[in-house]
Formats: sequence, C-alpha cells, structure tokens
Amino acid sequence: MSDKYKKILMVLIPLMIAIAMPLIVTDNYFRGIFIMTLIYIIVVLGLNFITGLTGQMNLGTAGIFAMGSYTTALLSTKLGISPWLTIIGSIIMGLIIGVGLGYPSLRVQGVYLALTTIGFGEIVRILISNFKFTNGIMGIRDIPAFTIGSFSFDDKLARYYLYLVFVVIMGVVAYRITNSKWGRLFKAIRDNYEAVQAVGVDIAKPKVLAFTLAAIYGCVAGSLYAVHMEFITPSVYTFDLSTTFIVMMMLGGIGSVPGCILGAVVCTILPELLRDFGNWYWIIFSILVLLVILFRPNGIISFLKTRKKSVKEGVK
Amino acid sequence: MAQTVLQLIIGGLAMGFIYALVSIEYTIIWNASGLLNFSHERLILLGAYLFGAQFVVRNGISNPIAVVLMLICTFFIGVLISYVLMRPLRNLPLVFSVTGTIMLGRIITEGVRLIWGNNPIPLVGWLEGTIKAGELVINRTYIIIIIVAAVLVAALQIFLNKTKVGTAMRCVSQNKKAAAFMGIDVDRSSAITMGISAVICGIIGILIIPLFQLKGDMTGMIGIKGFAAGVVGGFGYIPGGIVGGILIGVLESLSTLVVPGIYKDIVSFILLIVFLLVRPSGILGHKA
Repeated sequence: MSDKYKKILMVLIPLMIAIAMPLIVTDNYFRGIFIMTLIYIIVVLGLNFITGLTGQMNLGTAGIFAMGSYTTALLSTKLGISPWLTIIGSIIMGLIIGVGLGYPSLRVQGVYLALTTIGFGEIVRILISNFKFTNGIMGIRDIPAFTIGSFSFDDKLARYYLYLVFVVIMGVVAYRITNSKWGRLFKAIRDNYEAVQAVGVDIAKPKVLAFTLAAIYGCVAGSLYAVHMEFITPSVYTFDLSTTFIVMMMLGGIGSVPGCILGAVVCTILPELLRDFGNWYWIIFSILVLLVILFRPNGIISFLKTRKKSVKEGVK
Repeated sequence: MAQTVLQLIIGGLAMGFIYALVSIEYTIIWNASGLLNFSHERLILLGAYLFGAQFVVRNGISNPIAVVLMLICTFFIGVLISYVLMRPLRNLPLVFSVTGTIMLGRIITEGVRLIWGNNPIPLVGWLEGTIKAGELVINRTYIIIIIVAAVLVAALQIFLNKTKVGTAMRCVSQNKKAAAFMGIDVDRSSAITMGISAVICGIIGILIIPLFQLKGDMTGMIGIKGFAAGVVGGFGYIPGGIVGGILIGVLESLSTLVVPGIYKDIVSFILLIVFLLVRPSGILGHKA
C-alpha cells in the first residue's frame, strides 16, 4: 500500500513542478526553454524504445526529427492544412520511416546499424538543405500556431500547457508499453536475442515495432518543434543533435521512462543555469557525462532508487 | 572534357586516400579492442591544431620539426586515451562504448576551442601551390596526399607483418585470450594500437589543412565518410578500407559531372546503405 502511495507521489510531484514552473519563472526566454524541454522529452522517450529497451544503436534521430518538422511545415504552409491535422501526417511519416528503417535493421546489427542510421540522418539533412520545395538552407517561415476556434496557442504559456498535455499522454503510453508484454520482449532482445529466438519468438516484428515507435515519437516531437519555432532551417538537424538525444537518455537512465524524462530536463536546463561558466560549461558537462557512463551506466535515476528496491526489481 | 575528367579523378583519388587512411585508423582499433572510435574526427582536428596552431604559429617552430613533435604528442595522447577510456569501455555494451567515444570527441573539440580559440588560423604556404604537367594544372596538395598516404599504407603493412610489436597486435586482434596465454600484454598492445591510430589521425589532420583551412569544423564529414569507406570495401579489413576509400573518393568527385555539386556528399551515404543492405561483407567479400 505504501509502495503504491509512493508511486503516485513520484508521478504527482514532478507533474506539479512542471505545472508550476512557467508560473514561477515568468521570463519569456525561460518559458521557451521549458517548451524545448518538453519537445526533447518526447524524442528521448521514443529513442528509449529502440536504443534503451531493444539495444539497437540509433544515431539518426535528427533525421527522424527533421522529417516530422518538415512534414508539418510543408503541409501547413504550402497546403494550408491545420497544424492539428499535420500531426496525423507526421505520425504517418513516422510509420513510413519506422518500417523503412526497421526492416534494414533486421539485416544489420550493432555498429552496422549505427552506421546505417548515421547515413539516414545525413541523407535527410543534405536533401532538405538542397531541395527546392523545402526552400534549401533558407528554411521555411511562418508556420501557423495551433488554434481551437478563435483561441490561438501563440502565447508561450498556453503553448507550454498544450505541449505538457502531449508529454503526459505520450509519457503514459511509453510507460505502459515499457511495462507490457512488448516492453519485456524488447528488453529480452537486448539482453539475449539468441535465447529469444531459441524459445520460438520472432525477433523481427518487435524490432520493427520498436523502430516505428521511435520514429513516431520523433516525428511528433519534430512537428511540435516546427510549430513552436515558427521558422525552421536544416542547420538544426545535425549528427550532433542525434548524439545529444543519446546523451540525454544515457545521463538520465537508459531504459527507464522517468530516467529519460529526467535526462532531457537536466540536459536542456542545466546549460542555461551554468551560463556563468561560459566557455568551460561544455567541457565540464561532457566530462561529467563520460564519468556517468563509466561509473553509473544506469544514469542519474539510479541514484534515486534505494538499494532495497533495486534488489526487488532484480527478482521480478 | 578529358582534362576535366582527369582533374576530377586526381582530386577524387586524393580525397579517396584520405578516406582510406581514416578507415585504416579506426579499423586497427576495431580489430584490437572491438570498439568503434567515434572521436576519430576530433583526433584529426587535434593533430592539425597541435601542429598548426601550437607549434608553428605560437611557438614558431619550423615545419618539419613541428610535424615530428606533433606525431610524438598524438602518440602519447592515444596511449593515454587507451588506458583511461578504452580499457573500461571495452567491457560495456555497444551503446555505452559508442556514446563514450562520442563524449570523448566533444571533450577534445571543446578543449581545442578553449585553447586555440574559435577563429580560423591562417597557415601560409603549408603544402600549397600547383603543379603544371602540359595542359593539366594539379593542386600540389593532392599529389602530396597521394604520396604520403601510399607510403604510410606500405609502412603500416611492413610494421604489422615484419616487426614483433606488429605481429603481437595482429595476434590480439585475432584472439585476445590466446594472445594473453602466449604472453602478450593485451593492454599494452591495445595502447600501442591506439597510439598508432592517433598518429595516423594527426597525419590526416596536417594533410587536410590546405584543403579545408585550420578551423573548428575542418574535418567536416571525413569521419563518417571513412566509416562508409570501411563498409564499402569490407568492414574490419584494412585492404577493404583502402579500396572502399578510393572508390568513394573517385565516385564522389566524378558525380559532379552528372548531378549538381551540392549532392556530392550524398554519394558516400547511399553507397554505405546500399552495401549494408545488399552486400554487408563489402566489395572484397572478406568475412569480418
């Protein structure tokens, strides 16, 4: 009983903080940072399915993110479709990428897959910065905001709460999937795929599924990003962005939904708090991440878990 | 027309040799420790800055001595990285080791930025100039790259096959346990491998200074294209990397005849994905 009580508190307290934060910090710049944090949380939750749970290295997340952004940007500016509907468009785009990237992943493993996904990310970046209909390196301007009737979410505060709703829904879905039959199958493939095959379970389908989930989450986050920025250029979607997503997941706690959320929050907000260190910030941060990888492979979330609990989880 | 093609082929060959060197440099680490070094681009950057920004511009040392000093420094940096980072990473799953080397790359980039600043550093007269052969005008840098790379490849083959240290390195890459039983110090051998790899990175760094200038993003996509070269030729197999690198360099250069130059960079990635899907063992068909 007390365990369940604790669990509810673990969800409620962060949620309360998330709701209160933009009211406490009224600075518009910081509200923008909070919105970016929410967007990154969605991407990292998606990445967690494929890299965290299934153990397949995906270094092309920036490409997925870009496809989502450009789907929304092109549909809403060129065809005048409502931004709400473009999210459906970007979910479909996620499905296409997921199946398209997922099937190759059946043939290649480990580093080969990491290289394939790097190739995918780079191809997407080069194409969107050269195609005419994506307006090349100039990017796309004037992406309309979400509206309900006459109410428009162009105010940062309103947009923050709208995106928070997205994060809560996608977070709950991610948590449910992680602790479902699918989630356990993903983890089993990561830990020992030969054993999974040996007991007669098809490993092809869950891999494609994990890829598709990752692509859908990435694309939806890309859409939200495009609507938030109102103006997107290809220079954002670099290999460095893909690695930043991986770092967020690693730092927070690979394979764990609360860990991913924590990682995205820390990696987005900490730079702003450490502005005073100036030039030294990135090098300090990189060394810290490296130390976490070497000595705490399960991320900072593993500091929060008590020893007793981790033993119990092991038995489960 | 024939002249343009010939010039493109020479330029492509030079870039191809650079990709070939990149693929050799990470392949020896991959063979020795099963790690893919994603920080190699930054090691190339570090080598170029150590030579150009530190020794030549700041200390005013003459070019040949600066090259030697840079090679010694990069070797020991490589050995240090091997003991501090690669050894613990070797025992972690792939996701961690890849991220670990990526973070190492970021640390090096930031270090370079903090020490030598953001602005491009001009390095006048280093490997620059043109060579005229009849009607043909060739960039002198290309010729030097091709010669240095060819010598380096040959020297490495001799080192790996004829010397005791080289034989030990090959033994470790084939079977770590057996190597340890035969009395080979696996850690030390891996450290030497990493050191040699860092030295090759440094040489690549100084070779590309005339092509891309001495600046923070000088390495561009060389690192990733080097991975593509390895896959096209045969991953984890040194001759494969050389063949793949030259092929990618020449095809990339010739592609500007058919498609606009801006799509040049895409050639290597398409080759990478096609080969991974259709023929993962590469052109030479070597089983890794």
